[in-house]
Amino acid sequence: MSTVTLIHGLNLAAIYGLMAIGISILWSSVGMINMAHGATFAASGYAAWQVSLIAQPLIAAWLGTGLDASIAMGATMIASGLGAGAIFGGLIFLLAYLPIHEKANFAVRSLIVTLAINLATVQLLLYFFGPRQRALPKIFGLGRTEILGIPIRNDQLGTIVATALLMLVVVIWLKRSRKGLEITAMMQNPEGAVLSGISVRWTALPVTMLTGALAGLAAILLSQTVFVSPTAGALPLIKGLTIALLGGLGSIPGAIMGAILIGFLEAIVGSISFLGQRYVLFSQFLFIITVLIIRPRGLGGLLDQTRESRNA
Amino acid sequence: MHEILKIEGLSAGYGPLRVLHEIDFSVQEGERIGLVGLNGHGKSTLMRSVMSLVGWQNGSIRFKGQEIGGARSTGAGRRTHAIVQLGVALTPQGDAIFPGMTVAQHLDCGAHSKLAWRQRAQRRDAVMDIFPPLRKLESALVGTLSGGERRMVSVGRALMTEASLYLIDEPSLGLAPKISKAVLEALFALPKAGKAMVIAEQNVALLAGRVDRMVGMHAGRLRGDVGHVALS
Repeated sequence: MSTVTLIHGLNLAAIYGLMAIGISILWSSVGMINMAHGATFAASGYAAWQVSLIAQPLIAAWLGTGLDASIAMGATMIASGLGAGAIFGGLIFLLAYLPIHEKANFAVRSLIVTLAINLATVQLLLYFFGPRQRALPKIFGLGRTEILGIPIRNDQLGTIVATALLMLVVVIWLKRSRKGLEITAMMQNPEGAVLSGISVRWTALPVTMLTGALAGLAAILLSQTVFVSPTAGALPLIKGLTIALLGGLGSIPGAIMGAILIGFLEAIVGSISFLGQRYVLFSQFLFIITVLIIRPRGLGGLLDQTRESRNA
Repeated sequence: MHEILKIEGLSAGYGPLRVLHEIDFSVQEGERIGLVGLNGHGKSTLMRSVMSLVGWQNGSIRFKGQEIGGARSTGAGRRTHAIVQLGVALTPQGDAIFPGMTVAQHLDCGAHSKLAWRQRAQRRDAVMDIFPPLRKLESALVGTLSGGERRMVSVGRALMTEASLYLIDEPSLGLAPKISKAVLEALFALPKAGKAMVIAEQNVALLAGRVDRMVGMHAGRLRGDVGHVALS
């Protein structure tokens, strides 16, 4: 495996991991498969693009075109992606969780509602922005940086580092903080959580916002290599969802491991000359199906039995 | 004496099934009450309806004069966290544990209210004094513990909260006699001033002589105050 493939694989793993962890956390704590995760992705991309149109001349006038300016631009882009994702997550909470979370069969109902939100958002984006693809400013610059003698494209390096940092922060936050403990408690046993005085209803809001923000960040990072478009969220959604399944819904380490496996699989299959890009999806799904046949709980799923008691 | 809990005309059940039939029940401050009866006669449902965790319920439940019962139109558990914050703690059957958390984290969950969170280390220490076996298991995952240790963690979590009414559902369920006795002894040793405890139990002999009152339960109705029972 060449180093280019290795870096490409890590880059993809980072982006898919952000999507998969969001879907996984949301399923295990709130009990909802969020089909609108792709819409969050696309909407955050557009929000960041809108912000970049406004911010670019402002930053250019203020800081010129030096390193300061590009750092400021990068920070603005990441902040707007995270913010827009969090707001969209809150919207999903209001539309797809709050009105129906106590009804029977919430898992299926919310799946349908979020799917509707997904379709509606894509159509709204098409209506307002048209099908034209938009480019986000390159927040990590265009050149290459040499690390340990390996030249790495800046955007890939930035994506990998930013994702690793953010995931570390999220995992530590979930483990150490009071809010994080609430979310973990809800993931592992909803009844135990309410008996500890945790409101399941209102803990769902920070969860949807957090997972939305992760999707927003994924949108900014992936838009460094592909363009922003109304349907840009479809593929990341499908990959995020299948990776979350591969990792065992609800398991964060499982999702990270799944993302790395799928990212590398995509990079390797894409780089083999007689297979190439058109076999990427095929090989990924074949891999996921094989794993799930052998190990139906996924790579790390350990919380199935505590999850089921809730919607019975 | 001060009345902590007053239940009047409580009926509760699940869907078309009616489990409790117009129950009247009250708990005074400083009391330790044994709620005895066979399986399936409504002991757990009574406790769970105080926490607003059953399918449906109506009738008045007053906790320190504040109404926490009544018919509810929302789903089960919507109000539970508020009731916990008022000061009622339930250790449910089956323990409702968090398998992937360490014992320390698990206990912290009980001290989740803003005030208690700051003193969680002291409170954890107090719980470990009550259940000494937990001290060396502090960083073990709860999912890997034995049944008795889990029960201690579950009761410990309830003790971490700022509660004045403890509802302990079948503390001896599924435990070896020696261990269930240890758990119950720890419960009996807790200070009673300003607090009250209701212990649901099938095994009357375990409670005999150690509780202030015993209340029998049969087919969803309370069958009189048995009063102080001494079996030997």
